[in-house]
Amino acid sequence: MAADYSKDTLQGPSQYAIHVDEQTARLKGALLKDIRRSVFVYRVDCGGCNGCEIEIFAAITPIFDAERFGIKVVSSPRHADILLYTGSMTRPMRVPALRAYHAAPDPKVCVAYGACGCSGGIFHDLYGVWGGADRIVPIDAYIPGCPPTPPATIYGFAMALGILGQKLKATHHMQADEPHIHLRFPEVPLGLRVEVEREARRMAGYWHGKRIADSFLELIRCGDEHIEESIGDYLNEEDDPRLSEIFARLQELHAAHTRGG
Amino acid sequence: MVWKLVREVLKVGEATVPYPFVPVELMPGFRGKPQHDPELCIACAACAVACPPNALTMETDLDQGLTTWSIFYGRCIYCGRCEEVCPTGAIQLSQEFELAVMNKADLYERADYLLAACSQCGTFFAPAKELDYVIALVEQAGLSGEALDERKALLDLCPTCRRKTDIRKLAALSQEAV
Repeated sequence: MAADYSKDTLQGPSQYAIHVDEQTARLKGALLKDIRRSVFVYRVDCGGCNGCEIEIFAAITPIFDAERFGIKVVSSPRHADILLYTGSMTRPMRVPALRAYHAAPDPKVCVAYGACGCSGGIFHDLYGVWGGADRIVPIDAYIPGCPPTPPATIYGFAMALGILGQKLKATHHMQADEPHIHLRFPEVPLGLRVEVEREARRMAGYWHGKRIADSFLELIRCGDEHIEESIGDYLNEEDDPRLSEIFARLQELHAAHTRGG
Repeated sequence: MVWKLVREVLKVGEATVPYPFVPVELMPGFRGKPQHDPELCIACAACAVACPPNALTMETDLDQGLTTWSIFYGRCIYCGRCEEVCPTGAIQLSQEFELAVMNKADLYERADYLLAACSQCGTFFAPAKELDYVIALVEQAGLSGEALDERKALLDLCPTCRRKTDIRKLAALSQEAV
């Protein structure tokens, strides 16, 4: 029967996603509970950028060596216990993903790997993607990350197999009645702070720029005569000529500001 | 020949990292889970605007006077844009990377913030904490006394009422001129 995909909603698992029957679910529970042998992983790339694949191969190479735990990547879904879905599930990859799912013997565990596999990632609202593996196949574990590092991969497998516990929990915070407003660096004049933050970002890029601006403002916030000394000590400790150059420029700004009033 | 190889292997030692039995050594500047401090957050939505994959979102409920900040770790790409734009340092990338979950709902983190109501018409228009932060900033910039009170009164109005007040003031000015 030809399904009408146009009526599909964009939230949660697709209504055309596969549903696991009771017996398979029971078998799967048993597999997860007391698997006493190696697990074979088949990797299904459903339109990823290959970043996830690189990290998976980093996880099975000698440095991280997932094969210590019997986690082995196999080349056929017919041998697989775990199907690892990477990529944001593009429309042309839906059928290959389903073929891999049906080719793997029951009970099998499906894992969504990477930001794209979990939810579509940065591509979640593109017209050509389904937005995550869980919209096509039933997923048992999610390993977020862009891409997940090899330790995150090993942790994800260990958690999916019930060896390690889950750390992340959903939280819902409600604002307290008396909010406390915290200004950053209230001792530093607003104009100087803005100039320092802009200049550091211009020279070092957005993320490092902010970190460098913060460390500079932290050093000048006391406002006494020892600023030069403490900055010198900090730069000696860091021992980075790039940082020294940026700090020299920020010190120029600071000096101009103190001179100008 | 073989002994040379064995000696070499023994010299090199074990290359495998003993994770997960021993915590893994992370480089400084490792971009892990964005850690949100709901007490510091002022619900200004700068992070939600900056977030490239829309992992961070803000939803406003004008009827209840609530705005909800939420992050979906399953979509986060750990770029650090949220940390960069945050004016209060409420969100910072931590060294935490063990984020795998069995249940997708555990990938969500939410925080509710109260909205401030307009002092004239009573409609909710901006997060109360954000307004307090703006007033604190204005004070830091050196505004005080009457000018500060005037600014505070202006900040208590929703954009529509502010426009109406402006028009009334303009009308009064033009009448004076006549």
